[in-house]
Amino acid sequence: MPLLTLATFLPILGGLALMALPNRSDRVAHGMSIVATGLVFLITLVIWSRGIVPSGFAQIEEIAWIPAIGASFRLGLDGLSLSLVLLTSLLFFLSAIYSARISERAPSYVVLMLMLETAALGTFMALDGLLFYVFFEVSLVGMYFMIAGWGYEERQRAALMFFLYTFLGSLPLLLAIIGLYLSSGTFDMRAWIDAPPLTGLAAMLALIAMLFTFAVKIPAFPVHTWLPAAHVQAPTAGSVILAGVMLKFGTYGLVRFALQMTPEAFAQAGQVVLAFGVVSALYGAFAALAQTDLKRMIAYTSVNHMGYVVIGVAVAALSVDPQIRVIALDGATLQMISHGLVTGALFFLIGMLQDRAHTREVCDFGGLLGSVPWLGWAFILSAFASLGLPGLAHFPAEFQVFLATLNTAPWAIVAILAIVVTAGLYLRAIAAVFLGERNEKWALMPDLDRREMLVIVPLLILTILVGVAPSWLLNIIHTTMASLSF
Amino acid sequence: MLALTLLGPLLAALAILSLRRAPETLALIGAALGFVAALGLFVAASDGVTVGIALPFLPDFPIRLIASPLTATLSLLVATVAAMVLIYATGYMRKDPERARFYGTMLLFVTAMQALVLSGDWITLLAAWEMIGFASYLLIGFWHGRAGVVGAATRAFLYTRTADLGLYTGAFVLIGVAGTSEISVTNATTGTPALIAGLLLLIAAMGKSAQVPLQDWLMRAMAGPTPVSALLHSATLVAAGAILLIRTAPMLPGGALLAIGIVGGITAVVTGLIALAERDLKRLLAASTASQYGLMLVAIGAGAPVAALLHLIAHAAIKSSLFLGAGVFQHDREGTGLDTLAGAGRARPGVFAGFAITALALVGLPPMAAFFSKDAIIAAALGSTAAPWLLPLALAGSVLTGAYMGRALNVLWAGEVGPPQKPVPFMTFGMGVLVALAAGLGFGFGALEHMLGAEIEKPGWIVPAMGLAVGLSGLALGWFIAPARLLGPLLAPARNGFAVAGGMDGLILRPVLSIASACEAFEKRLLAAQIGLIRGFGLGTAHLVDRADGALFAFSLWIGQQSLRLGRATGFTDTNGIDAAIFGLVRRMVAAGAQARRLQSGFIHRELALTAIGTALIMAMLLIAPYYF
Repeated sequence: MPLLTLATFLPILGGLALMALPNRSDRVAHGMSIVATGLVFLITLVIWSRGIVPSGFAQIEEIAWIPAIGASFRLGLDGLSLSLVLLTSLLFFLSAIYSARISERAPSYVVLMLMLETAALGTFMALDGLLFYVFFEVSLVGMYFMIAGWGYEERQRAALMFFLYTFLGSLPLLLAIIGLYLSSGTFDMRAWIDAPPLTGLAAMLALIAMLFTFAVKIPAFPVHTWLPAAHVQAPTAGSVILAGVMLKFGTYGLVRFALQMTPEAFAQAGQVVLAFGVVSALYGAFAALAQTDLKRMIAYTSVNHMGYVVIGVAVAALSVDPQIRVIALDGATLQMISHGLVTGALFFLIGMLQDRAHTREVCDFGGLLGSVPWLGWAFILSAFASLGLPGLAHFPAEFQVFLATLNTAPWAIVAILAIVVTAGLYLRAIAAVFLGERNEKWALMPDLDRREMLVIVPLLILTILVGVAPSWLLNIIHTTMASLSF
Repeated sequence: MLALTLLGPLLAALAILSLRRAPETLALIGAALGFVAALGLFVAASDGVTVGIALPFLPDFPIRLIASPLTATLSLLVATVAAMVLIYATGYMRKDPERARFYGTMLLFVTAMQALVLSGDWITLLAAWEMIGFASYLLIGFWHGRAGVVGAATRAFLYTRTADLGLYTGAFVLIGVAGTSEISVTNATTGTPALIAGLLLLIAAMGKSAQVPLQDWLMRAMAGPTPVSALLHSATLVAAGAILLIRTAPMLPGGALLAIGIVGGITAVVTGLIALAERDLKRLLAASTASQYGLMLVAIGAGAPVAALLHLIAHAAIKSSLFLGAGVFQHDREGTGLDTLAGAGRARPGVFAGFAITALALVGLPPMAAFFSKDAIIAAALGSTAAPWLLPLALAGSVLTGAYMGRALNVLWAGEVGPPQKPVPFMTFGMGVLVALAAGLGFGFGALEHMLGAEIEKPGWIVPAMGLAVGLSGLALGWFIAPARLLGPLLAPARNGFAVAGGMDGLILRPVLSIASACEAFEKRLLAAQIGLIRGFGLGTAHLVDRADGALFAFSLWIGQQSLRLGRATGFTDTNGIDAAIFGLVRRMVAAGAQARRLQSGFIHRELALTAIGTALIMAMLLIAPYYF
């Protein structure tokens, strides 16, 4: 069974089927969305059970596509992509459940979501440069319409900015891919990884092009400005997918393309990339501290957390000690997954808060823990996970990244100051929103209902599971990272 | 056994939080299981058996728990104090509607603290270290509806987390050098890495053990329930800093030891003065806690970690019973201000007797616990190479201990007696056991030193005489002379907590917030600049497209006109028909052009939507392409 292909195209097929149905009521639309994403989730679990191989890619599915130029439809997995695929299918499934309440043009919304899932899974599993780029770009279109159609007050402007920014941002990647193609005569990413075709100046130029694209996507300072704008306006599920899945395109590309296909150039530019990572991590934390809108605040903490991923990858490129290198990459990859789980949960929770109160301003709340204990404790747990408390998902990842950093480029450890700043901003938000004197305006706020529990509880359980015993996940990642030769 | 020390309290906590029923019973069962397991560990360890377990965590870095004589002793200490405080709490928290949350969090704390003392590797230690900080945050903030409570909890977490950066980086240095995270291996680190790591670990210890200048959070932490103060902020959480330094003492080089000793000595004096100036019994005890941990750091700095350990054990029993006594008086008088509590002791002579015994034990009267440990500290300071620094500070700290305890006893005894109080059996029992330990533990110290394999030489007559003299003179000063006269010009700064330059708020908090707002201002500019850039690009492109479109329109018009002319020139007879056809074509072209213009001159986002649809079409074509190749 070509499960990878099936998982990739099942969502969009579901979307097409929905469009063809005569009865397109909200109920049917959301039902289709939940069934399709649920099935995809199950398929990815089977893919997980089939496992990966110690080095290179596993479960390869290949169909001739445009043989004239050496482009094929190639899908495959290693530890990096498998963990991201699992995260993607889970977050889309939960988003589908969460969105079941949306009544505004529900069928179009569902089709867009399903199209996004196809694009996201395709991006992580593609082993063909052209195919990767196609999926990468289609996701942009999907997210543009998602924000423009179902966002909040200033959605048009935010959607436009998101699109222009990331669209312009991704053009350099196309140039780099063409460069890789011209020097190798194939679009097969495995070939590009096994024997990096570019050397010298060409490799450096390709690396710069890729770094620009991925820096926009990650997003890293100073090209991160689209993220808060897009998050604030995006609908809740859109924010979850954007932060949980789409930002990982950038860090995935950073490892898969920049590190694996132009390794020498990356090692030369390592200190510069590291510096961008450090600045992003610190800047994101401080900028988040200045926010009073909860969603903007979480958006900036994403800049901070993704900054750690950049640091980890740069440290891996710089390090000469193979053990430290693997620690850095393990940490960076785990950080991607942890960020997806924790920030996904935080955006869901803020969405639930906004559904009830129609505001996200920190100072509009107060003492909510008394009226909505489940929501409150879920937020406190996720916030502490996000600030890196041991026993929760971010700790093992950040521990590895910082450990590798101090032992490779000691100056970069200044980024660790950010964990105090994030602690400060989360404690302040918790204090202002959930603790303290009760704001009587919200005394009758209802607590989480069953649908919301169904969305949030799995994320919290996984947050704890990754934090307490990360080996079940880390083993997949470690297998691949330990075998990378670059 | 080892696992049960943690699992007992952990499972009880989970049961309490999920069942939300009979929290007291479950809490006591959990604490009892933990105590029995810790006792078993201790007995096994006293036979010289070291047991350990390792669980997979990170690749190459499993997490380890180890019961060595040292860690098993600490584990038993934690389990004992925790059990007694929980028994006391069943009385103290009887009427609180959220008891389940209280006991659940307390037991989570006990689990994390056991993990900390039993940790065999840096990851476990770091994780437990941060978890006890988190539990402390939840417990200080337990009554989060009350004024000032949330601020105190937030402050405690942030202070200690800032200092924790020292533990993170120190651990990274040690792991990097040793290539493993086992503490027993990293303790063999030498040279510059050991010095750097030692100083970094000192920063972490200063945060947790409330050493100057990071002492302020501990006084504010008294906003939590009294059992929390007794367990966390005197006997366990605060002990983590000293425990960290005791555990790593074998690798600490001279430079780090000197820094530790001096920080401890300064803290012993400064927080001793703060305690003397306090007007609230719980805050007085908190300042005293910081001061006593300062004395332990003096011992570590003087190269006698065992003396520090003995004082840590003595202090744990003493200070927790003092807090529990203070809690009984607080219960009676609904407050902990010294004015409110005047005479509260005489109204409850039994509890006051317990309080007084432990107070005298802390001052160091023989034969109670702190008499032995304090003498060991003074002897160590005297024998150290840094004696000119450490000895005066240690002695001054001891005088101050006598002074503030004398004052507290005086206030509780003199004053209006008030009506007699109802008995509080659970509270008295919990406190009573700890008082007995505070009084009698000293007799076990010899055996303990033997078990740890580090016997302290019994000092001659001069050290005990010195210790007793400073303790008693302090006691007399505190009992007879009011602090205002005793402290003189130091009173105001001491009441202010010796905050220099606005304290931590001025030194750290405000700069951090101003960096944050600077980032926000920069962010706005960056955004504006980037929007300008993109708009320029977009408008430029639109302009180009517009011009191209105009040219195309003109061109098509020209084609139409030319063909019209061509038609006329050919002079077809059926001109009307052809003319009509050609004019129709031109008209349609004009209309189409106008329509295209309307599409393009509209909102940019609509153009983008079209671009997007165009992209999608191109992609669809790409996907269909194979069929045509």
